[in-house]
Amino acid sequence: MASSQEMVQQKIREKAKELLAKKEVDLVIGFGEGSLPLRATPIFVRTPEEADRLVWNSFCDNNLATYIHKLSRFKLGIVAKGCDARSIMALGLEKRFQPDRIVLIGVPCQRMVDRRKVKLHVHRTGLPGNVDIITESASLPAHKAGHPADLPAKKAVKGEILRAREEGDQLIVEGNDFSVSLKKDDFLYASCKACTHRNPIKANVVVRDRVDETPLTDPYAEAKEFERMSPEERWNFFERESSRCIRCYACREACPMCYCAECFVDSSAPKWLEKGVAPSDLEFYHIVRAYHQTGRCTGCGACERACPMNIRLTYMTQKLNQEVKDLFDFEAGTDPATLPPMATYKVEDKQEFIK
Amino acid sequence: MKNPYLPIPMVVKRTQIETADRMLRTLELGFLREEDEKAFRFVPGQFCELSLFGKGEAPFGIASSPTEKGSLKFTINRAGVVTTALHQITQGEEMGIRGPLGNSYPIELFQGKNVLVIGGGFAFTTLRSLIIYLLQPENRSKLKDITVIYGARNPGLLLYKEELADWQKRSDMKLVVTVDAGDKDWKGKVGLVPNVLEEVGPASENTYAVICGPPIMIKFTFPKLMTLKFPNERIYTSLEKRMKCGIGKCGRCNIGHLYVCKDGPVFSYEQLGKLPKDYY
Amino acid sequence: MSLKPATLSKKEFVSFLKQVMQTYDVIAPVELAEGVSAYRKIESPEEVSLTFHNTQKSAKEGFFPQSEVMFRYEKEGNRTQVTSTEEVDRPRLILASRPCDIQAFSLLDQVFSAKEYTDVYFLKKREMTTIVGFACNQPLSTCFCTSTGGGPFTREGSDIFLVDLGEVYWVEFLTEKGKALSKNEFLREASEGDAARAKKLEEEALKRMNVPVHLDGIETKLEQMLENPIWDGIHEKCLGCGACTFLCPTCHCFDIADEVSQKGGQRVRNWDTCLFSLYSMETSGHNPRPSGRERTRQRLMHKFNYFPKNFQKIACVGCGRCILYCPVNFDIRQAIREINEK
Repeated sequence: MASSQEMVQQKIREKAKELLAKKEVDLVIGFGEGSLPLRATPIFVRTPEEADRLVWNSFCDNNLATYIHKLSRFKLGIVAKGCDARSIMALGLEKRFQPDRIVLIGVPCQRMVDRRKVKLHVHRTGLPGNVDIITESASLPAHKAGHPADLPAKKAVKGEILRAREEGDQLIVEGNDFSVSLKKDDFLYASCKACTHRNPIKANVVVRDRVDETPLTDPYAEAKEFERMSPEERWNFFERESSRCIRCYACREACPMCYCAECFVDSSAPKWLEKGVAPSDLEFYHIVRAYHQTGRCTGCGACERACPMNIRLTYMTQKLNQEVKDLFDFEAGTDPATLPPMATYKVEDKQEFIK
Repeated sequence: MKNPYLPIPMVVKRTQIETADRMLRTLELGFLREEDEKAFRFVPGQFCELSLFGKGEAPFGIASSPTEKGSLKFTINRAGVVTTALHQITQGEEMGIRGPLGNSYPIELFQGKNVLVIGGGFAFTTLRSLIIYLLQPENRSKLKDITVIYGARNPGLLLYKEELADWQKRSDMKLVVTVDAGDKDWKGKVGLVPNVLEEVGPASENTYAVICGPPIMIKFTFPKLMTLKFPNERIYTSLEKRMKCGIGKCGRCNIGHLYVCKDGPVFSYEQLGKLPKDYY
Repeated sequence: MSLKPATLSKKEFVSFLKQVMQTYDVIAPVELAEGVSAYRKIESPEEVSLTFHNTQKSAKEGFFPQSEVMFRYEKEGNRTQVTSTEEVDRPRLILASRPCDIQAFSLLDQVFSAKEYTDVYFLKKREMTTIVGFACNQPLSTCFCTSTGGGPFTREGSDIFLVDLGEVYWVEFLTEKGKALSKNEFLREASEGDAARAKKLEEEALKRMNVPVHLDGIETKLEQMLENPIWDGIHEKCLGCGACTFLCPTCHCFDIADEVSQKGGQRVRNWDTCLFSLYSMETSGHNPRPSGRERTRQRLMHKFNYFPKNFQKIACVGCGRCILYCPVNFDIRQAIREINEK
């Protein structure tokens, strides 16, 4: 009996085949099998036969809307989760593509698995049953587990995850010398747990029934956690996170809303910041990129998922999203009739901050 | 161990606007240290990275000939941050150069042969160096005919107008200057460089051709060279590419496995034929 | 005269390193966040962390930092005083670099130590640095160093070589530079049992090496493939970020910029990647590599055709970082397979 996930996968393939056969789209952007456990990868399907490469699972965590900018001259079919569909709507309002040139294959989202959480769990314990929800602490002790003097003889380096598969609500993770069954819900992305729009808005076709949109955590949990810190703690946290940035711009490229022909980091006249890893430049980059998302970010988490150095990023945009909601009652990509507040002006806009 | 990133200190001796649109300016630089001047030996075709502290560096072909002692000339097209600053620098100010960098025109190969020089627009800078060098008596005597065809969009955009006037008077070279469109004072030839080349119809036998110009000019002139039966191994050009280190380390200016800064900028068309075409 | 191998108890690691740091500046893996590490100059032995399979940022930073000041300049009227930063005052030690990163050093040597133009910043560090290699007991499934001429226990390029035996580290002294540390009071003579254990770990590690990646003849294969339609597909999912490049132990492209302050400034070089559109962008606005197709092709051709043409070695050491950290799971092994199959 096919799982609901397999049925979703089948529906996606069927729809893609149909769109391609009828030439309603030139290509379909979706997910294919990843080459590593716990991963899927974006694929670009151009024939009905190729559509059998499309997969659907809890590792389809990229936001495929980011590819619209390179391919907007084609008629596109895009597999979109709730957050991705919001991005596409936001991009539509910003006129990044012709209105009828995109067909959304909407997938009400089961929430995606955070592979880093899984890896850290295995790395720490490697044993079944000991489920530890990973939270980043604001400071690391000077002498950490990982220091040679602390390493017990046998546990120096934990086993690598070689295979992972989903079985219902369980995630079976295996290596050379371990096999662990984990509860999927314990290993979801924070942005997925906070999500309030898991059903893709304005999808041309939806491949499964509507899902309940009650979030598992407070939708602004990360922003509130940050707010509970004192100003000094906040600065220390931000400084520590941004200090390991390597200016690879994976966050920027993964983000569907970052599409400027010349990004502010590349401007030479005026030169806003340098291209090195001096702390002030790293901090400048992170703060300004977050601000450029004001009223535009759909909380998809693609930035944080893309970062090779595991830098926390979504807490900043979540905070800005919260403020936009409070000030303008606006959430990006949820209403096709409302223009983004940073791009418009209304006489009724709140202005208590002007003294 | 010499540090190849440290600029040689130079002083601006003279500046001169070359073109009517004021976008091209020639800088004449003098060495501040005698030992640098003595050690600086270059051959036409080579370039230097001009260095302005606080602005950056950019590569420019050396426009003066090694036979013009005492200073180096560079002609700068105002386009971006560094070149705008180079347009603002004044006499007496200091700046730096790194060089000579790159390879040169294959002058040894020209011995006993005819030389055909074709230039277009701003690309004439290193050709000036080459022509003056070849016209030196001890070099000229080793060559047969020298033909130079130089074209610009209009008379105001011709570089080195003084030199062009001198060269017109010489009997040991043939100079044809042309413009795409004349003006009311222009008495010279009007015509696109590829057409003028066809008209002049130089013999390709025993002749080396050096062609430098904007991509559009090369695109239409090159087939004419083919018609005149110039073989690829006797056609040379000087390429431009975005550069930073100028010494083959930063990776930026590569065409295939060769670096324009280190293995070029002078290449024969035979060489280019074997390289990937991702440089235009 | 080769020295006998030694062992270093993990309990005495701090004391050992303290003694080393009296003479050497030590660059070692430091944990920047849980599961994220890079090589940094350490101020105290407690900062070192060795729980990684491999660090995110490679040990190439020891010779080629991501941001490096080349010289400082100060304006005094019309004159400019320039002070180079190339000198290395103290001997240095790169601690616990994996054999793949060490193999990469010899590739970087080819670029930076060319006789014609010697990169003094790289070379002076190289000359003053002792390299302590660190064997891989558990290579990852994404590692393919054995396909690039290396291996998890390859000692080539190391001055000292460590193997984690469990309670102690096995220590080999391979060069004169390495031998200079053999007098450290915390090193004990290794036993035959230690030697046997080290050998066994080496055998086990080699057995764990995953499916080999077929790189023989790839330079020749790519020679005719510049305009091959394979590039139309390969590049599509690549985002054009710099994650692979900046984590790669062999990538060496850099940008040079002047940073201005009140009285003067400094000329700095920063890592750059051929995958950024700005990399080859000309001032006129023309870009000879206008899309991801050309740029992805450039990166792969450089690693597997252009670099070997110049230096007879492919510019890849099989460390697998690009596979692990690519945001869209671009897998270079798949790309190589596709190229081989064409």
